[in-house]
Amino acid sequence: MTFLEKQTDPTSPMHWRGDMQADYMYTSGVAGDRFFQNLKKRGTFLATRCPECKKVLFPPRLYCEDCFVEIPDKGWFEVPARGTIRSYTVVALDARGDKLPKPKVIALIDIEKTDGALLGIINTRNLDSDLTGKKVKAVLKPKTKREGTLKDILYFE
Amino acid sequence: MAKKEAYPKYAPGTHVSTKDIVNKKIAYTWWEPEVQYSWSLGPAMSRFLIELKNGKIVGRKCNTCRRVIVPPRMFCEHCFGPTDEWVTLKDTGTVETYSISYLDADARRIKDPILIGVISIDGAAPLHGFMHYFGDMKPEDLHIGMKVKAVWKPEKEREGAITDIKYFAPLKKKGGRKK
Amino acid sequence: MRDVAVIGGGMTLFRRRLKETGKELSYLASKMAMEEAGIDKKDIDMVVMGSAPDAFDGVHMKGDYLIDGSAAAGKPYVRVFTGGGTGVFAPIAGWWHVASGVADIALVVAEEKMGSCYPHPQTAFRHIWDPVLDRPLHPNLVWLFAMEMNRYMTRHGIKKEDIARVAVKNKRNAVGHPCAQLADPNITVEDVLNSEMMAWPVQRLDISPPSDGASALIFCSEDKVRQFTDDPIWVAGCGWTIDSTMWTNRDLYFPQYVANAAKMAYKMARITNPPKEIDFAEPYDPFDYKELHHMEGLLLCKKGEAPILTREGVTQRDGDLPTCPSGGLLGVGNPIAATMGQKVCELYWQLSGKAGKRQIPGDPRTGVGQAWGDIMQMGTVIVLRR
Repeated sequence: MTFLEKQTDPTSPMHWRGDMQADYMYTSGVAGDRFFQNLKKRGTFLATRCPECKKVLFPPRLYCEDCFVEIPDKGWFEVPARGTIRSYTVVALDARGDKLPKPKVIALIDIEKTDGALLGIINTRNLDSDLTGKKVKAVLKPKTKREGTLKDILYFE
Repeated sequence: MAKKEAYPKYAPGTHVSTKDIVNKKIAYTWWEPEVQYSWSLGPAMSRFLIELKNGKIVGRKCNTCRRVIVPPRMFCEHCFGPTDEWVTLKDTGTVETYSISYLDADARRIKDPILIGVISIDGAAPLHGFMHYFGDMKPEDLHIGMKVKAVWKPEKEREGAITDIKYFAPLKKKGGRKK
Repeated sequence: MRDVAVIGGGMTLFRRRLKETGKELSYLASKMAMEEAGIDKKDIDMVVMGSAPDAFDGVHMKGDYLIDGSAAAGKPYVRVFTGGGTGVFAPIAGWWHVASGVADIALVVAEEKMGSCYPHPQTAFRHIWDPVLDRPLHPNLVWLFAMEMNRYMTRHGIKKEDIARVAVKNKRNAVGHPCAQLADPNITVEDVLNSEMMAWPVQRLDISPPSDGASALIFCSEDKVRQFTDDPIWVAGCGWTIDSTMWTNRDLYFPQYVANAAKMAYKMARITNPPKEIDFAEPYDPFDYKELHHMEGLLLCKKGEAPILTREGVTQRDGDLPTCPSGGLLGVGNPIAATMGQKVCELYWQLSGKAGKRQIPGDPRTGVGQAWGDIMQMGTVIVLRR
């Protein structure tokens, strides 16, 4: 049975406005902290190899989620901060739907010597040719300006 | 009987202190969400707020359960049928419970306490009311069973919100006799 | 419907902030439970995750985000959430999976990372209130429980000293728990009564802290349990009930919804005289008065009688009805859903004689665990029996 009162006034029902008032501090975790501290100090990537399935996990983690075993210390190793573009898109609008001053190229980059990939901004002026398969390397912030977050990678080119 | 091992055998986890974060000893990402909401009020809350702007508290009557409910709803959650009619209630009531808070909404300490509680509204079913502030009284005067009356914002400052009532103050009986 | 037993439990350290991500915490707790049971990820049929508001961790699909650390990648999975009741509701959902016959072995994981929320986890709680009626008054959760505590104290004429005794008992009990955040062997009633006033009548030492942590449990069907143990700890009964959100229209002095959930669990467990048939209890104790409120809700004593039993020492580990022998939330910590570690894993460890320094003397056979959630609405109850 429906409500016993009909809405006849178009300005009612009213609405109530509000927002979400909370900020967040996300810890990078035991594995993430090791990755970002290394990126900050040495400017290279770290990856982890699962002792059971032998997959090279990137981004590196404390455990392999498929085999559910912990990665031992000797499973960690350095990889160069570069890879190949697997796929990409050219973004023209921002999150609100307004036009961006300059289109942005976002790519999924298969990181060299790993079985994983990273999302990154591609610094290129050439939007006409197909970027798939292009080899790119990470350009980092100067060492003194790095903070230990993903933003330490300025872009790939 | 052999003594069994004690569980949990160990406690995995790495404690980080506030200092570790302030001094950036660990890598972390800071994020400030930007999300806004526009909630539809529905017929019951719409009318409730419109009447608050007019300086009145209204409830809805459920004829099946024979109770007047406030805050009003278009359906009764007990018999799960539609409620039947609007009822104008008094703006006086009884303190059902209260607290004297030295914390604000973000758990920060404040010096002058906030007096907050639940007031059952006269004219509605027993124990039916809503939460609001108390004022014009000392914290030690506040007690369960106290009779209170709403203190409203001046008409032109009211906007159709629960805060059109500033707070509930002690009800003064004529002739000075304490209830 | 099949019988279901518990074959392993696990918990991480509980602290105000932990370095590990939510996924890593889930992994550590799940791995510990799997080690106790002696199983691998491939042995697990289905996974249940219990986790409270996404707004703590700050990832708004938290249930689906944590699966990698919950041994759920590639498996049937569900996340359940009933506010603070999740710590006992998640095991109840795990029980459904096995009792129904769709799974032989189910892993239940509970995780919370409250430390991510700034300026304080209370800020996340700003968003559980009604946006129109409550939020404009800028309430915080401590006010809410202070109002319930006040109503309970006033209706029964209870003094703060008797309530403070619960905080003292639980923080001292927690000394035997390796994960404990606030264990204190020397705390006294005076310490509690002299602590900082938060929202009268609640003082600082009356409340459990916000915490990061995770816990896990493994359920096994009666068909397979003999592969793991000759002395199974069975789930004897479960119950759950929710009350209306209109808390300003209810009398808060007695949690009727907890009593309804308890009756449901006791009926399943064929318990007709709870005070006599239950050997120990782990009621939800985010505040000290809540242990008393919930003991009465669990029908372990008459209304208003719980403070008297506490004063007489009945609820100490060596008393007639040990209550919160784990140290509870007040002693071990309160990562909302992950309190499954103290409320249900503890029942399992006590009944199997594995609780170490926390072990209740005698031969406990039946224990009841309970959690409580949302805006004083949800009661979840589980009974384990050897």
